[in-house]
Amino acid sequence: MPDNTSVMVLDDEPIVGDRLRPALAKGGFDVEIFTDSTAAIERLKQKAFGVLVTDMKMRGPSGMDVLRFVREHAPNTQVIVITGYATIETSHEANALGAYQFVAKPFKMKELVKLVEKASKLTAS
Amino acid sequence: MQPAAGRSSDAPAASPGAPHDREALNPADRLQRAQHALLSRRRLSIRLRLVASLLLCFCLCCAFAAAAKDLLGRARGKLNLLQTIERLDDRILRVRAFEDEGILSGTDIDKVLEGARDAEDLFRKEAPALQAADREVLPALLAHLGTCRRLLTAVTTQGRERGGFGVLTPTQAGELRHAEAEANRLLEAMIRRERVSLSAIFRFAETGPLVLVGILLLLFAAITYCFAKALVNPIRRFEGYTSRIAVGDFSLIGPARRYRDEFSDLAVAVNQMLAALQEQQNRLVKGARLAVVGTMTSGIAHELNNPLNNISITAETLMEESTTLTDEDRWRLLQDIYFETERASEIVKSLLDFTRQEKREMVPLELGEIILSTLRLSQNEMNINNVTVAYDVPPDLPRIQGAANQLRQVFLNLFLNAIQAMPSGGVLGVSAAVRDQAGVCVEVHDEGAGIPAEILPRIFDPFFTTKEPGKGTGLGLSVSSSIIKKLGGDIQVASELGKGTTVHVCLPRAEEQ
Repeated sequence: MPDNTSVMVLDDEPIVGDRLRPALAKGGFDVEIFTDSTAAIERLKQKAFGVLVTDMKMRGPSGMDVLRFVREHAPNTQVIVITGYATIETSHEANALGAYQFVAKPFKMKELVKLVEKASKLTAS
Repeated sequence: MQPAAGRSSDAPAASPGAPHDREALNPADRLQRAQHALLSRRRLSIRLRLVASLLLCFCLCCAFAAAAKDLLGRARGKLNLLQTIERLDDRILRVRAFEDEGILSGTDIDKVLEGARDAEDLFRKEAPALQAADREVLPALLAHLGTCRRLLTAVTTQGRERGGFGVLTPTQAGELRHAEAEANRLLEAMIRRERVSLSAIFRFAETGPLVLVGILLLLFAAITYCFAKALVNPIRRFEGYTSRIAVGDFSLIGPARRYRDEFSDLAVAVNQMLAALQEQQNRLVKGARLAVVGTMTSGIAHELNNPLNNISITAETLMEESTTLTDEDRWRLLQDIYFETERASEIVKSLLDFTRQEKREMVPLELGEIILSTLRLSQNEMNINNVTVAYDVPPDLPRIQGAANQLRQVFLNLFLNAIQAMPSGGVLGVSAAVRDQAGVCVEVHDEGAGIPAEILPRIFDPFFTTKEPGKGTGLGLSVSSSIIKKLGGDIQVASELGKGTTVHVCLPRAEEQ
């Protein structure tokens, strides 16, 4: 079972990680920040996170690829997908792959933290 | 292609890649100037020329008919004259026959006198005709006849006195005979002469029609030649115009001849049509430009939402943590907001630059700058599709002649097509090289699936698209092609299934001062 307080944030925009880290840490989470999806996948191979917050469009493997990888290797990890360009197709695809929630940018940090909290409870149960 | 090459100065009023001053004029002025040039010439309509030619032929025929009538009249006059002269000659001969004896009996005298009177009457009656025929012989003839009458009158008077016999003295008889013989001689000479001139008239009447036929033949040939030239040459020229218009060259038609006719009216109408087509084309280009921005919405949304999100969450942090943040942290967060705002406004600015209507001025341009700014515009599309660029445009490339925003539109279309052809990523090759003295060529290469040979000829057709509905308008390449042709360049596509597609765009070099 993954450690439900461990959260990975993956977004190629460094500011997203910078802002989310203190906010999530304040909520009692153990946060790891990645801006490169290849490195993130490498880390996911080593550790099962409670919650993964990932951007959709990135250089290299996309958020969808990361989601697929997590489904295969860590089925208990809850995944929250954030994207700058939300379409019905991508949200359907993410849901079909078992994403916990689909969030459009720009998002409210408070709401995202709440989502992470809910997702982590799901992981724990 | 163009007939009568020497006179075909119907050079389009502004040929592609033409001098700037032409381009700088606004379209309405250009149209007005072209129409004025067409209409300010002297009018010489085909209808007028046709009517004039027919009138000329008609007048010629009338003149010939009048000449024929005159000739016939003259022949009739000659015939009458000939008859008169012959009768006169005959009377005199008859009188001479009575005189042979030298002594005239009473009845003979009467007959001779009657004959002489008859001859004289005839002569008087026909004097005008004879006078008209022969002025020189007439006094002599008149003198001879006068002599005859004088002698005969004298003899008659004598005879009456003597009771019935008129005797001529040998001198008188000689004089009378001589006068009569001379009169006969003169009359016969006249008969001969009149016969000759009559046969000349008949000869002329025989050859006249042949000459007329010859003249008419020449005239018809000349008229046919002129009309063929006046009709066929303009039609050929208009054929040239239509094929030029078909490939998107909408430059206006200028005067080709010194005068104007019905074809000039047609040219004026075609110019009107060209102006309307140009207007439509401009609207289409503008529409396609906005449409290409539409196909980039995902990229633009992504590109704008990222900085907006960064600003939003940073501002949220500032508000939520206002009490706990150090001055240094606060400064860093504000700086983030500042730079992310810059980033967002850059995106908006580049989009606005792209969609802005620019004056269609042909100016020397650095091709590398145009390509780089367009690559920046499509950078995000490349990022999200994992496409990288292999850029090989030499910095010392000669400048080209063109309109910056129209070229950006073309290259953006080509780049987006290439990116969309590689959904799972690849390398977008952009290279440029000097082709020859006249042009510079750019190659845009993708590693996509390639275009099947059967649809390759259709890719420049308006509204032809292989993309799914909503993803492409089918106007990108069509408009790109018309822009490049308008700039005096050339665009070609080569594709190999499974290997990718290469688009060659060649543009005219700027004339460096």
